[in-house]
Amino acid sequence: MPIGPFGLDPVIWAPLRLVIAVGLALFLILNGALLQIYLERKIQAIIQDRLGPYHVGPFGLLQTFADALKLIAKEDVRPSATDAWFFVAAPALVFCPMLASWLVLPFAYDITGADLNIGLLYLTTLGSMTVLGIVIAGWASNNKYALVGGLRSAGQLISYEIPQILALVTVALVVGSLSMRTITASQPGPLVNVLVLPFSFLVYFIAALAETNRTPFDLPEAESELVAGWLTEYSGMRWGTMLALSEYGNVTVVCSIIVTLWFGGWQGPGVDALPLLGVVWFTLKVYAFILAFMWIRATLPRLRIDQLMSFCWKGLIPASLLNVLVVATLALAFPSSRVPIAIANWLLVVAFVAGIPFVQRRRLAALRARARATAQPVRAAS
Amino acid sequence: MTFDFVEPIVFAMLSVGVIAAGAAVVLINRITAAALLMAFTFLCMAGMFVLLGAETIAAFQVLIYVGAITVLILYGVMFTKSGDRPYALFFQHQTPIAAIFVAAIAIPVLLLAFSFNAPAPPPRGGDLPGLATSVFTDFAFPFEIASVLLLAAMVGAIVLTKRDEAEGADTRRRERR
Repeated sequence: MPIGPFGLDPVIWAPLRLVIAVGLALFLILNGALLQIYLERKIQAIIQDRLGPYHVGPFGLLQTFADALKLIAKEDVRPSATDAWFFVAAPALVFCPMLASWLVLPFAYDITGADLNIGLLYLTTLGSMTVLGIVIAGWASNNKYALVGGLRSAGQLISYEIPQILALVTVALVVGSLSMRTITASQPGPLVNVLVLPFSFLVYFIAALAETNRTPFDLPEAESELVAGWLTEYSGMRWGTMLALSEYGNVTVVCSIIVTLWFGGWQGPGVDALPLLGVVWFTLKVYAFILAFMWIRATLPRLRIDQLMSFCWKGLIPASLLNVLVVATLALAFPSSRVPIAIANWLLVVAFVAGIPFVQRRRLAALRARARATAQPVRAAS
Repeated sequence: MTFDFVEPIVFAMLSVGVIAAGAAVVLINRITAAALLMAFTFLCMAGMFVLLGAETIAAFQVLIYVGAITVLILYGVMFTKSGDRPYALFFQHQTPIAAIFVAAIAIPVLLLAFSFNAPAPPPRGGDLPGLATSVFTDFAFPFEIASVLLLAAMVGAIVLTKRDEAEGADTRRRERR
C-alpha cells in the first residue's frame, strides 16, 4: 500500500484532500469576490473622477467586508407568491457549477484540483449549467421583470456560448489537447498562444464579457429597463450568493481560462527555479484581465437587446466559424509550423477590426433611410 | 484498505436518483418541476458515465442535455400558456393497458439483467484522442448524416418561424389600416 503525502494513509488523505480543496476554493471565491467588489468600486471611481469607498478602514478597504457582514445578517426574505422550492434552489444552481469549475484551474504546475484530460470541455459544460439556475430564478420569482431578465439572460448566454466554444476549439486544434496543464506547457517562454491565435482570443474575450454579464452586455440586469433583472426578488445572502459570489467567481474563472489558454498560465520568469512562483504569476495575470473587465465596464455604455443578439449571430458566430475553418485547414496543411496559422489569424483580426466601421456605416444608412421613410407621411399630414 | 467500496455506493445513489427523478418527471403535475427533475436525471446519468470511465460522454451529456435541452424546454414552458393543469386525465383510462405493456417489457429486462454475468467492458471514451479519431474516421459517415439531419431540422425551424412572423406583420399592418 503506497503512503500518501505527509506520511498519511491514502484512505485518510483522499477525503482530507477533497475537504482542503473545496475549503480553499470557497476561501478564494469569498475573498476574491470581496476584493473584486472593492476594486470595481474603486477603479470605476478613479475613472469617473470620484473618490469611491474611503470611510471604512484604510482606503475604504474594509467597506466590502462590512457589506458582506450586512448581507449575512439580513433577514431572509422570500416573497409569498414565489415558488418556494425553485426560489431557494436557484442560487445553489448558479453557485455550484461555478464552484465546481475551480477544480481544473491550474494555479501552478502542481497546484490544481485535478488535471482532467477533458479540462476545457469540463469548464464549458459547467459554464452552460449556469443558465439553468438563472432561468429558474427568473421563473420562480413570479415577477415580470425577473422573468424577462431571466429569459434575456438565457438567450444571451446560449448565444454567446457558441462563439466562445468555437474560440476554444481553435486553441484545442493548435495545441492538440484539452488538458489545462498540457495547454499551459505548450506555451514555453514568451511564445504564448495569443501571438498565434489573436483572433480566437478577441472572440473569446468579447464572448466572455457577455457570458459573465459584464458591461456592455449586462442586459439581464439592465436596471433602467428591468429593475434588477432576474435578481429583482432576491435579497440578503441569496442575492449575495447569486450576484457577488457567482458573478465575480465566474469572472475569475473566465479570466483564468483566458490566461491559461492564451497567456501561458502560470509560466513566467523564475518559475523553473521556484515552482510556487507560478501562483503569483497566474494571479497577477488573472487580475490584469479582471482589471481590464472593470475598465471596460467603466467606459462603455450598455447595448440594446437586439443589437446584442445581432452582433452575436451576424458578427461573432460567422467570424468564429471562419476562424475554425481557417485554423483547421492550416493545422492540417502545416502540421509542424504555427507561423501560417499566426499570419492568417492576425489577418482575421485586421479584417474584423477594419470591417466594423463599414458595417456600422451601412447600418446607420439603413436606419436613416427607414427613419426618413416613416417620417414623411407625418410631415405630409401636418 | 482501498476505495473499492465507494463505487457501489455512488452507483446506488446515482441509480436511485435516476429512477426516482425519472418516475417523478412522469408522475408530478407541475411541468416546470418535471423539467428540472429531468435535468437531475441527466446529471445522474452523467455521473454513471463518469463511473464507467467515459468522462467525455458525461461532459457532453451535461453540456447538451442540461445546458441546452432543459433550458429549451423551460423556455417552451414559459412561452406557452401557463397553468399547472393536472395531467392525470390523460393517464387515467390507460392504466390497465399500460400495466400490461410495462410488465411485458420490464420482466424480460429484469430477468436478463439478473442473469447477466459477463465482465464489464473496459472503460473507453475517457480516451479523448481515440474517441475523436473514431468519430472522424470510422464513423465519419453516420456523423455527417446526423449533422446534415440536424441542419435540415434547423433550416426547417427557421423557415417555419420566419413565415409565421411575416404573416403576423402583414395582418398587423392590415389591422392598423
